[in-house]
Amino acid sequence: MVKIAVYPPNSLILADLLERKGHTPLVLQKQIRQKIKDPEIDSPPMNISEEDPIKGLKYAAIEVPSGVRGRMSIIGPLIDEAEAAIVVDGAPYGFGCIGCARTNELSIFLLRNKGIPVLELTYPTNQDETYVMVNQINEFVDSLEETAEEE
Amino acid sequence: MSQNLTMSPDLGKEDWDPDVITRMIFIGPGAHVSEQEVVTAFHMLGLPLTIKNTCYGSMISGKSEDVYKAIKEIRKLDPNHIFTKERGFAPGDPRRCRGHRFGPREGFHQMEKEYRILGFVSEALENPKDDVEIEDKKPVDVDEFKKIMNECLENKE
Repeated sequence: MVKIAVYPPNSLILADLLERKGHTPLVLQKQIRQKIKDPEIDSPPMNISEEDPIKGLKYAAIEVPSGVRGRMSIIGPLIDEAEAAIVVDGAPYGFGCIGCARTNELSIFLLRNKGIPVLELTYPTNQDETYVMVNQINEFVDSLEETAEEE
Repeated sequence: MSQNLTMSPDLGKEDWDPDVITRMIFIGPGAHVSEQEVVTAFHMLGLPLTIKNTCYGSMISGKSEDVYKAIKEIRKLDPNHIFTKERGFAPGDPRRCRGHRFGPREGFHQMEKEYRILGFVSEALENPKDDVEIEDKKPVDVDEFKKIMNECLENKE
């Protein structure tokens, strides 16, 4: 079982396809759940506390806007945990849950720079492209399994 | 916007339990089961779960062990058309539930976009094809672009 980061981190299709293959998708909802079950946060839905931009300093410099650092404090641990990653490119406007283009760029940059296997896909718009996407994901996951077995 | 800011919700014991998880079950286009059938199947499992019927499928909440067991069973109804996804907030949580606030629920837009290609994914899972080739989209040739541009300019005059 490999822990695979998906981007966008709340994707239904990517997470489901990985779970079907028996792997663990690292999704943002799990991080959010941890956050909202934290008894110290008493003013929901303001789920970002003043601690978060400080935690985000691990992933982004102090000059980076606090919004990016606050977001990175939630996404960052997922990137740290990732053993592989699947990134979808060319998605329509509004796709994904981050709501910040710079955070998206930084997260994808960190995933690419981490030295883990990364599969980059194009957002499918028709049936043939979807066949290719599903085949690519399956091949990628199978290759990860083979590598894990060799080790 | 003040209507959208709810007060601290009155959460029960289960809501604070880190082992309690929530999952959304989506029924893709062309499925052989209905939302109601899925919900009935969940009830018939007899597991201690909170089950909610929704427009896209259903939502279940409970101890992670029970939830994963239920999902494994429910997928058997229609493996290629039933999709599942994690959810951070419990069903009916006032911070997300539309019964307590205005506007679409956060996460709805992503769901709407993915639902559009969910039918293609189901088809790809049902009838896998290996030899699919996609034509590379190429930009318009410069000469042709010039020709079209000149035609447009002439028509304008």
